[in-house]
Amino acid sequence: MQPIEALKQLKQINIDYYGGAHAARQNNKFIAYVNAFTPVELLYAMDVIPIYPENHAVIIGARKMSTEVSAAAEGMGYSMDLCSYARCDLGSIKTGLSPTWGLPKPDLLLISNSQCGTLTKWFEVLSRLYDAPMLLIDVPHSGHGEPDPAGERYVRTQLEELILVLEKITGKPLDQNRLKEAIRLSKEASDLWTRVLESGMHRPAPITVFDQFISMAPIVAQRGTQVAVDFYRDLSRELQARVDRGIGACENERFRLFWDNLPIWPELRRLSLFLEERGGSLVTSLYTWAWARLSVGEEDPLTDWTNQYLYLANLHLGKRIDDYLEIAEKYQLDGFLYHSNRSCKFVSQDIPEVRRAITERSGIPGLILEADHNDPRLYTIESLESQIDNFLELLASRR
Amino acid sequence: MSVQDPWTVFREMMQSPRSKAGEWKSAVHGRVIGHLLPDVPEEILHASGALPVAVEGAGIHISRAQAHIPGYTCSHAMGALEMGLAGELNVLDGMVIPYVCDTTRNLFHIWDACFPQMQNEFLRLPKRIDHRAARDYLHAEFSRLFQWACSLTGRTPDLAALDASIKLYNQSRSKLREAYNKYHAQSPEWTAERINLLVASAMRAPREEHLKWMEALPWENDGQTAAKETTRVYVRGKVWDPPGILDLMDGFGFIVMSDEIVTGFRGIQVDAAEEGDPLKALVNRHCAMTPYAGYHTDPAEAPKNFVRRVKDSGAQGVIFLNPKFCEAAGFDTPDFQKALTAENMPSLILETSARGVSIDQVRLRLEAFREMLAEDLP
Ligand code: SF4
Ligand code: SF4
Repeated sequence: MQPIEALKQLKQINIDYYGGAHAARQNNKFIAYVNAFTPVELLYAMDVIPIYPENHAVIIGARKMSTEVSAAAEGMGYSMDLCSYARCDLGSIKTGLSPTWGLPKPDLLLISNSQCGTLTKWFEVLSRLYDAPMLLIDVPHSGHGEPDPAGERYVRTQLEELILVLEKITGKPLDQNRLKEAIRLSKEASDLWTRVLESGMHRPAPITVFDQFISMAPIVAQRGTQVAVDFYRDLSRELQARVDRGIGACENERFRLFWDNLPIWPELRRLSLFLEERGGSLVTSLYTWAWARLSVGEEDPLTDWTNQYLYLANLHLGKRIDDYLEIAEKYQLDGFLYHSNRSCKFVSQDIPEVRRAITERSGIPGLILEADHNDPRLYTIESLESQIDNFLELLASRR
Repeated sequence: MSVQDPWTVFREMMQSPRSKAGEWKSAVHGRVIGHLLPDVPEEILHASGALPVAVEGAGIHISRAQAHIPGYTCSHAMGALEMGLAGELNVLDGMVIPYVCDTTRNLFHIWDACFPQMQNEFLRLPKRIDHRAARDYLHAEFSRLFQWACSLTGRTPDLAALDASIKLYNQSRSKLREAYNKYHAQSPEWTAERINLLVASAMRAPREEHLKWMEALPWENDGQTAAKETTRVYVRGKVWDPPGILDLMDGFGFIVMSDEIVTGFRGIQVDAAEEGDPLKALVNRHCAMTPYAGYHTDPAEAPKNFVRRVKDSGAQGVIFLNPKFCEAAGFDTPDFQKALTAENMPSLILETSARGVSIDQVRLRLEAFREMLAEDLP
């Protein structure tokens, strides 16, 4: 496998990001802990650096520190059944073990529950721990997916309230021009990220989902900044060059696969090599696509955020299945690998129904892998590999 | 109904709630609407002309549900699905699943896929129950639920009918609170297990009849049961789980002074106002109830308020009934327990619904906790 050059920038990008966050106070900046579906452009426009405790946990998992720190969280009373991101983060605070020198203390905990309910409870714990205010953007789930005008009013009211809270914390009014600039940069980064993801439609795919996972950090944490734009511009250019020259991420691409759910961070490298050796190429994933859909317009961002959180982020089974079927066609998929992730009930509990519907409607088989995104004590990698092996054999026999 | 034993009718109701609902259905040609706990306003379903029937999944043996939802799901959700897959809920014409957590949110869609013959509705309960805008949202949501239920029963939403249902449910709750008073006074026959029988059956029987059945209870039994050492506790959890736990607690002489169980005292503690807009009255009632772990309130105040409720109840200790795989309860408990410890209030965490945990283990832990409370340690 020929490594992607642009990815080498990521180390420095991460060092600068966490370093900048730790130096926030000296630079008259503020810190907000956030999750995916929060308006980070608004934060950047107000000199508030968004920090993702989930990302912190990812780095802990990828560095294989999760067993030690999650055990510490369990010692604090947090059961092993709870999300392992939360356990890693809480255990890291307890032990002081962290690859990012910990996280700077927050001035605000900002959360939207169009992602999951777990984050609300986890952030409540953090709010008590740091004695920091917490603001939940409560997004009613869309039920049958019908329009919810009352929900739109409810979410919008909370976003308006967020601006007031930020103005109070930072002691200055929102500068509309700075907001517009952050929105413009965010949109540019999202468009470039979309291009990165779409490159996977080519045969062979120039990037696998493993490398997409690694390259996600800036679109998650730094959309709304020039850093993200520059990085994704370089990355998408390099991928285009690969497409032009017919270079695939997987040297001998035999099976084009979809990865559902979060990665198994501690096994990222091992699974990547395992699949590569067998010609299995993970060409796309809904998880990486989620970040391509988060930009808003400059005209009326509050309405755009409202609609996005209520109707787009708030995935429900029917919509998820339709999305998967569309992706299957666009990416010419041979199979689905569904990660039934113990820690993330939010995106895992409906997997049996998703698999049933996808196979029924498209004929594309899927394998459910029972694992965990960050806690290696909750799966055995050898067993996962043997299941994948059998699945690839099944795919080969269908040819 | 046996003249000798006024409790039998409630027991029979709980032994076969769905077949009783079926009898009601054929007698009045009505619609039966199931609802998953917590906090679905039964008054609204009742006012639409339907029979509201609570569906509780805890304690159900799982065999079919695992093909549709992974095993790391709480037994409350899994058990409900299991009952449906086993055909035990065929009597339901509709089902309301409230937004409590990620699990109920997912369960709703799985339910809809598994039971297309039912009309299924997701009740979008807001999480910020102490926020003004959440009340407006909940009002719109309750109104939507009323429309939906009426579309199922073929009636027109009628606020006067809702007023009448509120009155009926207030009367029922008031009677159930009286029952709690008898239990707290340790009147003969009034045990925790029996009080739960009354509350649970109220959530499944036609409420008018249930109210009548309650008239026959031994209200005149005053005074105390034979002197027995008692231990006053406060309970936090979702439902009385594992089934049989109240029997054990009665046996050990625990008195539940108050609780935050959705099928316990919490569910009958607050009435809805009988004047003004009935939907608003139900919104106010909803927001006045003790917040369940699935809701969000000021994080700094939540443990303090919890400790205050415990102290106000006069309990000597607290029992947490934490459903296994429940994230909401799992994140709250450590800080809530810490806050209790800081006030020198002992507590016991029981992980419930853990498939494989026997009632004997629960018995042992309850017994040890009682001993500990009795020892009067410094
Ligand atoms: S439950 Fe899932 S979405 Fe929620 S914090 Fe954990 S990993 Fe993230
Ligand atoms: S709140 Fe907890 S017990 Fe209730 S349905 Fe959700 S996970 Fe299950």
